Order: sequence, then structure tokens, then C-alpha cells
Amino acid sequence: MTKSPQRGSWKALCCLALVASCASGKWLNYSTPGIPRLPDGKPNLSAPAPRTAYDKPDLSGMWEMKGRPGETSLLGQLPGPAESANIASALQQGLPYQPEAAQLLRARRAEQRVNDPLTRCLPIGPVRIHTFNSPKKIVQTPGLVVILSEYNAGYRQIFTDGRSLPLDPNPSWNGYSSGRWEGDVLVVESSGFREGLWLDNTGNPLTDAARMTERFRRVNVGQLEIDLTVDDPKAYTKPWTVTLTQRLVVDTELLDYVCLENEKDTQHFVAK
Amino acid sequence: MVQRGSLKLLCGLAFIASCVSGQWLNYPTPGIPRLPDGKPNLAAPVPKAADGKPDLSGVWRIALGPYTLNTTNDLKPGDVQPWAEALAEQRRENLGKDSPAAHCLPFGPLFTFDPINPQKIVQTPNLIVILGEQLMYRQIFLDGRSLPADPNPDFMGYSVGHWEGDTLVVTTAGYNDRTWLGRGYPNTESLRTVERFHRGDFGHLEIAETFDDPGAYTRPWTVKVTGNLMPDSDLLEYVCNENNKDLPHLIGKASDLKGVEVAPEILAKYAGVYAGTLPSGLVVRFEIFPSGSELWASLNGGAKRLLTALSNTKFVLPQLEFLEENGEIVALQYSDVGANARLPRVRENR
Repeated sequence: MTKSPQRGSWKALCCLALVASCASGKWLNYSTPGIPRLPDGKPNLSAPAPRTAYDKPDLSGMWEMKGRPGETSLLGQLPGPAESANIASALQQGLPYQPEAAQLLRARRAEQRVNDPLTRCLPIGPVRIHTFNSPKKIVQTPGLVVILSEYNAGYRQIFTDGRSLPLDPNPSWNGYSSGRWEGDVLVVESSGFREGLWLDNTGNPLTDAARMTERFRRVNVGQLEIDLTVDDPKAYTKPWTVTLTQRLVVDTELLDYVCLENEKDTQHFVAK
Repeated sequence: MVQRGSLKLLCGLAFIASCVSGQWLNYPTPGIPRLPDGKPNLAAPVPKAADGKPDLSGVWRIALGPYTLNTTNDLKPGDVQPWAEALAEQRRENLGKDSPAAHCLPFGPLFTFDPINPQKIVQTPNLIVILGEQLMYRQIFLDGRSLPADPNPDFMGYSVGHWEGDTLVVTTAGYNDRTWLGRGYPNTESLRTVERFHRGDFGHLEIAETFDDPGAYTRPWTVKVTGNLMPDSDLLEYVCNENNKDLPHLIGKASDLKGVEVAPEILAKYAGVYAGTLPSGLVVRFEIFPSGSELWASLNGGAKRLLTALSNTKFVLPQLEFLEENGEIVALQYSDVGANARLPRVRENR
């Protein structure tokens, strides 16, 4: 049995625990085709955003959240953007909680994330796919955009074939997403979330009443900006917006991170 | 929560087929050729991608058959190395409780042979992604790269593909050794597979997959399955470890099961074919073979399995009960996790 390289396990991140093993393996250095390069062979990240044959910006590529610095712990700064710890870290006023949501947040904190879907190896939902501390890959076709995540080798679909959101969706972890182009911006509307989603490690909630709007704009080859607006009247008194900036990751590939593989953490979640 | 079914307990013949509903599943798939009555024309020609290659994109469901979550049906005793045969034997004795499926881990090579959870192929010129309902995907690189010399072993392996005429040929290496190939048979990290995908017409995808694992087997072998297009539908999320309560109940041994003796003349009455359609649309066909004091069953042309009698009319596994009316055996009641169907006896002219 060969030990699988992983970018790191996030399950035990309730406290200070943190794993970050080294990614190796020859194939991770395969040079990404189709990237404009500088004379020295390095990717030209400030080149104009590529376009598809159907003349829309091409969002395809591997992306990683470029956020504000992450959480600080006794061990130093934790990897990952601040938004993975707290989706509202850039909002000075914080989030406009409904009383029930504020109470839920306190309860989730008190139990030290023991029921965080990430702790339980469950799906992390579309927002945390953006902020998760490992690359994801956008695969764009005319009628469908797929976002592949390393976490549990999971994915999310965004339909871009003109369909509207369903009236009676099957509540799900990823919700149901439909996107359309407004000029060079892909505007994605989502609803149909199940109860119990977490937006971040803090436990900020997303309920089944939520409607989410994401505006994807590829600034240049190297940068993708996602303006995320959450309209969730069950949890928040008014809609709020954050920007989740992604940077291109080149000359590498996704690694599978299968959270349940040899999972030994859950039995140790005992303290309050 | 709407689900197509759980595959976690697929140790033996067990399979599940729960009912699918939900408004948005009826969204008509764009770009499908249709008959005058609006139904998809599944016999229409194969669509072409912008690069002129056959377009394999679509939601596909593998037809139930002898290779359902089991690629090892045609293996003969000498084809399996002794250690692998012993391991498979032990896993069957443990009723498959250590299978990746029972622990909600990825299916690995069996991903392709899952008849319950449909797969969605998303094709681009340089990359094909196959999405599974268990929120799990695999990538096939078509950009001309070669297989890595030192791959990172994982459940789905590392896949590169190229076109040979209208056939997509996909070679995969870099599997880990934690997946099962069916009936408890293992694979090692030496496993290499070659899949040949051929879309015969709009509605059908033929897949032939060759398994070559010199670490556990003495020869390569090939299995063929057919994918049927699922128009006007889409993938549903199936999260295996959501509220999972199964594991504590996975106890016991195959040898714990003690059957009863049934008279050969009673067993002889059960010979024949019983067929029907499950609520999920899967067609199920059992063929029953009495042999002296033993009763054997084959599901959809698969290998014959010895049934254990619980009474004169009830047998396992799976749970089967022969139903009698006016002294005639008229049907087989088939019960499984999520599936319960009365399969009428098929009158065949022999």
C-alpha cells in the first residue's frame, strides 16, 4: 500500500490540528496546455482572458482562492483564505443575522464544529468549494459549467442552457444552479439547498430559503473574481455580498482527497 | 430526499431501485433529436462534437446484466492467483462488510459498472469528465499526454484517452489497491485498464473494458456493458454517508446461514424464468435451475448462484419467494433493499 499524497486533511481543523503532507508524483508537473507563456516559459498571468469558440470568456482552468490571510492559531497562520474560516471576514459590519441564525451560530461554535459537514466528510456545498484550501477546476462547455473539487472528488453543475430554476427543487447540498452571460460576466443563480449547510468553518448558516447569485468575471488569464450575494431571509435580515477572488493554478492537476478513507477522527470528538 | 437508491449493501445480488421524482428532473434535455410525438429518437445518428469526433456527452445508465458491479464473472479458477482467490473467499465469508461501497468509499474501476447511479459524460476536445451521482467524478485527458511513470495511487486512477476512428480508447493506471473488482476480488496497484467507448447510435453507448493486473491475475480479461441514454433527466445527489446507519449492522458470516432441506420434487416445480420491471424501470429476469436437492438462480444472465432454502418456498440470497396459485407456481416475489417486486413466471415454448 502506497501512502497517498494529499494536499492536507481538513477534518480535524476544529482545534489546532492540521495536516499538510507534501504533494509529489511526476504527473503533477505536466505542463498545462493552452496557457500563454512568457519567453522564460512561465505563464503570462496578465494576458487577456481567453475566449471560447462561441465568443464568451473561457473560465476553464484550475483555480485557487486568493483571499486575505487565513486564521491565526497558536501554531501560526493556518493555510487557506480568511473566507474559509469566516465568509464575512472582509465585511466590517459582519453579517446581518436573524436571531435564530445568531443562536445557531453560537451553538455550532460551542460544540466545536463537531457537526460541521466538513468534519463529517459530507459535501461542503458550493460556497466552500470556492474557499476550500485546495484547487478546483472549472470545465466550461456551451450548455454546462462543471466545477470539480478535490474535496471528496466532488463536483457542482451549473446549467447554462437557458433553463430557469425549478419551482420545486429536490433539496440538495449543492442546490440547483442556472447561469447566463451578461456581457462577459457569467451570472449564476442558485436555490434548492438543503437545511444544515455551513458557509465556512465558523458555522455561518445557509438555509433552504436561500437564493444565491454569483457573478463570475475572468479579469485576465490569471485571475477570476466571483461576487457572491446571499439572499437568505431565514438566516439574514438582508442580502449581503462578498468577493471571492481566485487565482489560476497551472502545470499541476487535481488530487483526490477522499475524506472517509481511513477516517479515525470522529470517535475522538468528545469535548465541549 | 429523493434518491435513486443506495448501493452500499451490494455484497451479493442485492440491489436497490427506489423511485425518482422531482419536478426539475423532467426538464427536456436540449439538443436531442425527437420523434413527431416529442419522444427522444434514440435510434438517431450519433451527434458530432465541434471537432468532428463523436459526442459522448449525456446522462447514461448502465444496463443491468452479468457484470453489474462485478467484472469477474467470466474468470476461471486458474485465472486468479491463489492469494487473490483466498482473499475473495474471505471477503465473501464476511458478507462483503469491508467493501469500499459498504464504507461509502469510491467504487474505483467498478464506477463504470454501476447500473443504479447514472453517469454524466461531459466532453470537451481536451478533457472528458464523467460525473457520478455519488458526487464523484473521474477525468480523462485527451490532450496527448502519456500516462505518468509514477502515478499517485487513488481510487479512480489516472486516465488518458485517444480516438481510434469513432471509438474513444481510454487507458488507466495508478489505481490504489483498496477497490474491489466484484465478488470480493481484489486488484493491486499494477492494475491497468483499457476502455473502449463506442456510441452506436443516439441512445446507446457500448463500453468494453479490459482488465490487466499481473499482481493478482494470470491473464487479462474483457467485459462489455451497454449504457442507455437517460434523456430529459439529470443527476441527483446521492451522499452515501449522509445519516449512514448501516455499518453497525454489517455482522455475521456467510457460513452462519443454515438452510433447510427441500424435497427435489418441490424444487423441480420452480424451474423456469421469472421477469418483470422494478419501479425504477430496471428490467429483472431470474432464471431458476433446480439440481437434485439444490436450487440455483441466475439474474439477468449472470453467473448461477446457489440459493439457501429458508422454507419450502422462501430462499436467499437475494430474498426470493415462489408464489403458488391453484397448485401452479405463477410468480417469484423478489425483495431487496429498496426493491420489492412480483415477477410473473414467463411461459416459454421450449
